[in-house]
Amino acid sequence: MIAGLVALAVAAGLAVVGAVAWQRHRHFAGVAEDRRRNDEWHRRHEGEVVESETRLRLSLDAAKQGVVVADASGAVLYRNPCARPFAEARHGEALVEAVVAELLAEAARGQAVEREVELYGPPRRILFVSARPLRRDGRDYGAVALIDDITESQRLDAMRRDFISNISHELRTPMGALSLLAETLAGETDPEVASRLACRVQVEAIRLSGILDDLLELSRIESSDASERSVVDVRNVVADALSRVGPAAEEKRISIEASLPVLDLRVRADRRQLASAVFNLLDNAVKYSEADHQVRVAAARRGGCVEVEVSDRGYGIPLRHQKRIFERFYQVDRSRERTRGGVGLGLAIVRHVAANHGGEVKVESTVGEGSSFTLVLPAGNEPLADEGDEPELPETGQPRGQQPVGATA
Amino acid sequence: MGELRRSFHEELDEIQAGIVRMAALVTEAVPRATESLLESNLELAQQIISADDQLNDLSMLLEERCHHVLALQAPMAGDLRALSTALRLNAELERSGDLAVNIAKATRRIYGTHYDATLRGLLARMSEEACRLVRLSIDAYVDRNAGLAAALGDIDDQLDNLNRECAQAVFQAHSTGAIDLQAAVQICLISRYYERIGDHAVNIGERVVYMVTGWLPEYTGSARLQIREHSNPGGPDEG
Repeated sequence: MIAGLVALAVAAGLAVVGAVAWQRHRHFAGVAEDRRRNDEWHRRHEGEVVESETRLRLSLDAAKQGVVVADASGAVLYRNPCARPFAEARHGEALVEAVVAELLAEAARGQAVEREVELYGPPRRILFVSARPLRRDGRDYGAVALIDDITESQRLDAMRRDFISNISHELRTPMGALSLLAETLAGETDPEVASRLACRVQVEAIRLSGILDDLLELSRIESSDASERSVVDVRNVVADALSRVGPAAEEKRISIEASLPVLDLRVRADRRQLASAVFNLLDNAVKYSEADHQVRVAAARRGGCVEVEVSDRGYGIPLRHQKRIFERFYQVDRSRERTRGGVGLGLAIVRHVAANHGGEVKVESTVGEGSSFTLVLPAGNEPLADEGDEPELPETGQPRGQQPVGATA
Repeated sequence: MGELRRSFHEELDEIQAGIVRMAALVTEAVPRATESLLESNLELAQQIISADDQLNDLSMLLEERCHHVLALQAPMAGDLRALSTALRLNAELERSGDLAVNIAKATRRIYGTHYDATLRGLLARMSEEACRLVRLSIDAYVDRNAGLAAALGDIDDQLDNLNRECAQAVFQAHSTGAIDLQAAVQICLISRYYERIGDHAVNIGERVVYMVTGWLPEYTGSARLQIREHSNPGGPDEG
């Protein structure tokens, strides 16, 4: 009996313990489930944050301007690939990094700042650094600095400004002279003086019309894409240019040595444009050489290209000007230009002709030693359309050096 | 100790960055000085003269910083050499900046003088060559490249030759009456300033060799003196 009661009590006890344990198990299982869900939510959320940050980082990495992000103390947290070279720089660019650090520190204190940094390099560059604080709802997130390379836009701005001022100046000088001469002429009674004045009027008028011709030629070449192409023998073009430049060369006693080898020197080109380009190169060489010096012109075939090289032993072009000489009206030494009668359009014409024909123009120059310009054009191998086989060389009275006999010296 | 050393090396890195920045100020000042000279740009000349204050300020701060680290951290061996090298480089670069200022001042002295293309070309080339030497010396410093640093003396020969050529060209121009005596003297001095900038770059190279290898350039001369004194104690120097 007693044993039966004990067994019952034990069974009841076990049942209670079992029930409690079951309940506990249920409870803990619930907590574990909650935690699991919580963890999963965090993981998912964290994943989203990481994904979003990666996306933002990649976007900044792709930016064409330098981006540097700093914390509230001004210490750099992130730098995109465009900004990295400045941090690793050892020469002029190291100064940009110093400016970035300085502006970031100022921006971190809550002030938007910007500065232009000019580097003489080489290459010469102008950079615009701006920094602003990162703040939202009164909370401080640090600062960001942006580095923009404004070299090209500044160059274009300067070019546009120069163009307007140059064109006005170039046209105004002969116009002023003309009006002054006309005024004097009106009151002049001595026929001899009047005739001398009339001659001066004519000279100024020719100068003015020369400038206008150059401008028109440039504008025509700039607007056309050399669609009127035919197969042209470069030797003929050079020969024509030689005969045009002959008188000016003779006046300064400059001999022009031409080296036109008997090779296939045909190109597909707009003949008039090409002639204009070669003439301008030769004209410059004569203009910028001192009297009694020599100018060389050589045509050659190199790979799939035909090259025309015009070299002089003139004043030479300082390195810093070499990139700009192909701009309209750009002149290296303005004070001396007047006496030579250049207005600075020749090389702009040459560059446009080269570009129109898918070629290029290269310059090599040392100050005090001379300059060499090379016009490179893709060769054209179709039959000649409007040319004879033999180039007609001009009778300029100049020593012509090697005639077409295959020499290239 | 680990923490201390880490911040010590950060200090050394920052000192190196300061030296690089000083050199950048020099290599930016020299072509500006040349432009002011060749284009008679007095405004630019004044800018260079004023901008030298920045270099002087940086030099002073850097020197103080080096002394601070020397006093507080008592560095040894390579670290000590790096610091003493930074101190020397600081002085060489500060002096190079002064030479750029001298060129700008000479620009004012010979304002209005027209000189021929040969002289202009030579001055432009000397300017480029001097800057190239400074850049190479800093490359050697940052890369700890003792080979490049030791070669700077020979690379500098080109600038020395240009200096001689320039003197010849000045004599020539003066003898033909193209420039007056005042301009001739100034141009010779300017040429000398470029040549000195090159010499400072060579000095930087020598100190970089010392920093990397522990070998002082003056060691050879000093050893020679000791041998002489040892073989002939108290006697006259026979050279």
